[in-house]
Order: sequence, then structure tokens, then C-alpha cells
Amino acid sequence: MSFDPGTIAAFVDGELDDLTARRIEREAESDAALAAEIARYRALTAKLSAHFAPIAEELVPERLRALLVEPGVDTSMAARRNAKRGSFAPVHWGAIAASLVLGLTIGLRPWAPAADIASVNGRLVASGALADALETQLASDQLANAEIRIRLSFRDRQGRACRSFEARDLSGIGCRDGGRWELERAIGGRGSQEYRQASSGELSAAAAAMMAGDPFDVAAERAARDSGWRN
Amino acid sequence: MRFEEELVELLPRLRRFARGLARHASDADDLCQAAIERALKSRDQWQQGTRLDSWMYRITRNIWIDERRAAGRRGVHAPIDDAATQVAGDGAAEVEAGALRGDVDTAMAQLPDEQREVVMLVLVEGYAYREAADILEVPIGTVTSRLARGRETLMHYLGEAA
Repeated sequence: MSFDPGTIAAFVDGELDDLTARRIEREAESDAALAAEIARYRALTAKLSAHFAPIAEELVPERLRALLVEPGVDTSMAARRNAKRGSFAPVHWGAIAASLVLGLTIGLRPWAPAADIASVNGRLVASGALADALETQLASDQLANAEIRIRLSFRDRQGRACRSFEARDLSGIGCRDGGRWELERAIGGRGSQEYRQASSGELSAAAAAMMAGDPFDVAAERAARDSGWRN
Repeated sequence: MRFEEELVELLPRLRRFARGLARHASDADDLCQAAIERALKSRDQWQQGTRLDSWMYRITRNIWIDERRAAGRRGVHAPIDDAATQVAGDGAAEVEAGALRGDVDTAMAQLPDEQREVVMLVLVEGYAYREAADILEVPIGTVTSRLARGRETLMHYLGEAA
């Protein structure tokens, strides 16, 4: 293993330049010790995220809110504001689906309307390049500058294979269900203001909160893909 | 958005950060309350256009550090530490034996304050090294070395599979 712990940590934390990150990804494919070390670092991050994520989902105690929200404010308004606080609250598809699809279409490929997200039976599912990436792309084997980057793969509590991803205009988590990749979480892409505010840590935290067990390591991810992501 | 509204939106994350520092829910919310009060009092010092979240995290962290130092001077061990230090103190071997394996809170309690805050900012809150360094007002190298030591300890206590 030719990388020191600091470099591996920086890689896992997304702090490396693309060139070095790509070198590590390539080397991890043939260097089992390096791959295991990366998995160990990722597992710690995932464990911590999962442990602390529920706190940010709790209702904020009234004594704290009261310091900031003027008395007399309509409580239903306050409750609504409280409810929409998290960028990663489960997505209210009805309300945002249209704008999301529109935004994505304009941002990503104006000539190919809604190529990457489709609505099937009222559920938003990945299509086009996003579906391809979720279906075939390995986190351990992707270009650092790939248009869509896969981050974590894992099983959720229903036993579905789920994968978090980042693209320029959309980031989120897709889970394989009935042969399709349903979008379970979504925020603006890594280029958006919304995403920068939420930070990629929120994506990891959302994944960690959904996860049953540990995220897939390099071998498990490959095996799951090769078996068609079966439950 | 109004200053207060932005703060309200930040509260869930801020509470999470505070819980990582102070651990007990009520202590953490006391810390949040003190931070909000100080933020409201010194809102003129926040520069429009800079990140409110970093500013709030810095305030929160500084209050916490001040409290810990004051408690230290008084010779008071913050009660939040008792359970953890007792276990570590008279039962290091048990820890080694894995009696506490898997408990994130216990593992976090093993970390010195300056490592715990870095672990929270980078691994839980998802800040970049540079951003964490700005919040803590330390050089970036200090962030990476504290993070490395913190990680090592956590992996040790949480087991190989972390």
C-alpha cells in the first residue's frame, strides 16, 4: 500500500485533487489492503453519521425556537417552517416533482427533456444516464470527473439496494425496486447553492440513516451489481 | 431571509453539533440557547454575505470551550464526563476486551475536546478541512492531525469494522 493514512483520510473525506483521487481509486482495485483501509474509513464516517443523523430530525424544542420566532406568530406557520427545515426531509414529490424535472431538464440536457428522471405510477424513478449510472457504475471504478458520481451503496431496511449519487444538477439516493431505481432523496446538484449549503455530509447522513448494516465495500458493490442488485 | 429565520433553519444541525460536544441532550440545548443569545446580541458582527452557519458553529464551539475551561479551573469535572472516565479509568482492560465496543457515545467520550470537535465538524457535519479550520480558527494542518488522532481512537474503540 503506497498511500499514507493522511492521504487515505483525505480521499475518503473528498479532499484530494482529482488526479490523486483517481490514482487511489485505480490502485484500490488491485490492492486489497488499500481497498479494505478505505472501507474502514468510510465505515467509521457512516457509523458516526448514522448515530448523529436522528438528532437533526428531531423537532426543535420550543424554548430554542421561541428565542428566534416572534411570539404571536401563527403556530401553523411556525410548524410548517419547522417541517421544511431539512434539505433531506423525505421528498414531497407532488409539490416539487414538476419543478425538479424541469430544472433538471434545463440544467442538464435541454435537448433531451426529462431524460434522467421519469414519473412512473406517481413515483419518481431514474431514467437515462442516471439510471445507467445507478445500474452499472461502481464507486470504486469511476472517473473523478464523471458526470454522475456514485458515492455509497448499501441495503436499506426493506432489503433494497440503494445508492447515493451526485451530479451537477441533482444529488440524492436511488433504491432499486421492481427493476427500477426509485428516487428516495433528492436535493440540488453539487453545483447548486442548495447543495453547497446542505453539504455532501448531509447526503452521507441521509444514506446512513436509511442503511441496514454497513455500506458495501468494493467487493460487495461489484457482487451486487453483477447479480443485478437483487434483494 | 431574515437573520432570525436563517437561524431557525440552522437549529436542527446546530443541535446535532452541540450534542456531539456536550452529549447530554439538555446540556446540548443549553449550549444552543447560549449560542443563539450571543448571536442575537452580536448580530452586527456577522458580515452579510459570509456564511451564517460557520459563524454560528464558531460561536457555539467557543462558548462550549469557555465553559469547559471554566469548569476545569473550578476543579469541577463536568458531570457529562463521569460515566465515561470512570469506565475508562478503572476498566481500561474491559474496554480492550470489547465490553464497550460499538457504542459511539462512549467512543466519542474518549476523545479530547479538540479532537471531538474536529470529528464532529468534518465527519458528521460534513465540513471541508478548510471550513473546519476557519470555524475553529486553527491552521488546516491542525485540523488534519487532530482528525487523524480522533479517527484512530474511534476505530480502536468501535472495532475493526468501525
